[in-house]
Amino acid sequence: MSTRVGFRDALLTLAEQRDDIVFVSTDSLKVVRGEPFLEKYPERVIELGIAEQNGVGVASGLAGSGLLPYICTYAGFLTMRAGEQIRTFVSYPNLKVRFVGANGGLHGGNREGVSHQFVEDVGAMRGLPNMTVLCPADGDQVYQAMLASVDVDGPVYIRIGSGREDQFFEPGTEFPLGKIRVLADNGSDVTIFGYGFLLARLMEAAEKLKAEGIGAKVVEVATIKPLDVEGISALLKETKCAVSVEDHLVTNGLGSAISEVISEGSPAYLVRLGLQDVYGESGPPEELLDKYGMGVADIVGAAKKAVEHKIV
Amino acid sequence: MDTKALERLSLKLRRDVVEMVYRTKDGHPSPSFSIADIVATLYFHVMNVDPNNPDWADRDRFVLSKGHACPILYAALAEKGFFDYEKLFTLRYLDTILQGHPYAPKTPGLDATTGSLGNGLSIGLGMALAARITKRTYHTYVIVGDGELNEGMIWEAAMAASHQKAGNLTAFIDNNNYQSGGTVEEISGPYPIDKKWEAFGWHTISIDGHDIDQIKKAIAEAHKVTDKPTAIIAKTIKGNGVSFMIGENSWHKRVYTDDEYRQAMKELGGTV
Repeated sequence: MSTRVGFRDALLTLAEQRDDIVFVSTDSLKVVRGEPFLEKYPERVIELGIAEQNGVGVASGLAGSGLLPYICTYAGFLTMRAGEQIRTFVSYPNLKVRFVGANGGLHGGNREGVSHQFVEDVGAMRGLPNMTVLCPADGDQVYQAMLASVDVDGPVYIRIGSGREDQFFEPGTEFPLGKIRVLADNGSDVTIFGYGFLLARLMEAAEKLKAEGIGAKVVEVATIKPLDVEGISALLKETKCAVSVEDHLVTNGLGSAISEVISEGSPAYLVRLGLQDVYGESGPPEELLDKYGMGVADIVGAAKKAVEHKIV
Repeated sequence: MDTKALERLSLKLRRDVVEMVYRTKDGHPSPSFSIADIVATLYFHVMNVDPNNPDWADRDRFVLSKGHACPILYAALAEKGFFDYEKLFTLRYLDTILQGHPYAPKTPGLDATTGSLGNGLSIGLGMALAARITKRTYHTYVIVGDGELNEGMIWEAAMAASHQKAGNLTAFIDNNNYQSGGTVEEISGPYPIDKKWEAFGWHTISIDGHDIDQIKKAIAEAHKVTDKPTAIIAKTIKGNGVSFMIGENSWHKRVYTDDEYRQAMKELGGTV
C-alpha cells in the first residue's frame, strides 16, 4: 500500500465510523487515488479546483461549523502557498483541520524536480503553535497515523509521499502518536534518529556499524511535534552522541528539533544529515537520497564522526 | 425591526464605535461606519442568532472579511447581548475578549477569525457548504471590502462558490471607494465591480449601502436565489455620518481629539 492509498483508505474507514469527515479537494482527488471515496461519499467531497489558499479557508469554515475536513495536495502548495491561511485561520483559532502533504522530501518529489519536491514542509508546520506534525514511514503507517490522530484537538499535518514507498513496518503495526520508537538497539555507542521513507537505510547503516563493532540504536521520530522530549533526552544521555537523518532541509526539521533538546539539558554531539541548505533536482528517488547525503555510507560515516566527538 | 428603528440603531452603533476609539485610543472608525447600516440590518432584522447560545448550530453566520472594521461588529454583538457593554472599552487591551482583529475563540457571538484581507469569503463558503452537508438551513453573510478585491483569493472563492451553487451564501461588497493608501481608483482599479461578480457566476444586486430599505430588499432577493450565491454591491461612504471623517482617509485608523469626539457624537445624534 502506498502512502497515498493509505490516506485514502483511512478516509474511507473514518467516514464509515463518523459523519463529520469531509475531503476538501484542490483538484487533488486524483493525487490521492480518491475515486472510491467520491463514489461512496459524493456529498463529502468538496471540489474547489486548483486553489489551495481558498481550500484552506473553506476548510477553516467547515471546521468552524463542526465538520472534520481533510485537505490533501502537494505538501508545498499547502504549507507554503497557503501557509498564512493555515496559520491565521486554522492554527491560531485551533480548529480541527487535517492537512496531508504529498510529495514529502526528495523521495516524494523525485523526478518531478524542485517545484514538486518539498523539503521545507515539516519546518514550516513545526513552527506553528497548536499544530501536530506527523511523518509516518510507509503506506500502512499513514493509514494508522490517520486513525490515531483523528481525535487530536487542533490541527494536524501528515506528511505523505509519491505513492512509490516501500512497506517498512508490518502492516497493522500501531502508529505511536507522540512517542519515539526504538527500531534497533545494538548498543550505546550512538543513536540514529530518523523518520519517513528512509528508515530502511538507517537499519542497514546500523548493521554495517555493528559489523565494525559500533553499537547503534535506530530510533524513529514520527511525531515531530509535539516532540517526545523525554524519550529523546534519555537516549541522548545514554549515547552522548547522535545522528539525525531526514529527507528535508537540516534546518527547522528533525535535526533542529533534536538540537533543541540537546541544548536544553541533554548535551550530546549531533551530526545532521539531510539537505544542507540546498535544493534538489530531478532523479530517481533512491539515487536522489544518495546524491544529497542520505546514503547508507553517509549515515555510517556520520555515526563514526559522532562517536569520535562524543560528549563525555 | 422597522426601518426607522434600524436607522436609529445604526447611529447608536456608530456612537459606540466613536466611544470605543476615543476611550481606548485605537481602532478603525471610518471603515466601521461604511458598513454600519448593513451590520445593523443583518443583526437586528435578518439574522437568526441567540445571545444565550452563541454556538447554536442552526444560527445564521456572519464573516467580517474586512476584519479591521470590527469595532462596529463588536458594538452590534454587545447591543445584541452577547457580552457586557462595558467590555467594548477593553478593545485592544491586554486580556481583552475584543482583539484588534476578530478572533472567534475569545469573543462570544463572533463566527470567524479574520483580519488578514482576502480570506473571509473562503471561510464563509466553508460555512455555507457545511450547512449543505449537515442539512441545516442557516444562511451565511460575508462583508468584503472593495480594497480587498485586490486579493486573488477573493476570486478563487468567488469562482468556487458559484461552481458549488452556494445559494445560501451572500456577500456584501462594501464599495466605499477607499483603501488604506488612497482611493481604489488610485491604488488598484477594481471597477466595474458588478460585472466582475456577474462574470464569476454570482447573482448581483447594486444598492445604496446606507438605504436600509434597499438593504432589506436586496437580502430578501438573495434568499430567493437558491442556485447561485449573491453579491450585493453596496455603494457606501467611508466615515458616513460624521462630516469631518468623510473624504478624509486618515480616519481609516485615527483617534478622536476631545473636540472631534464631541462633534462626532453630536452629528451621530448623541449627547456628550
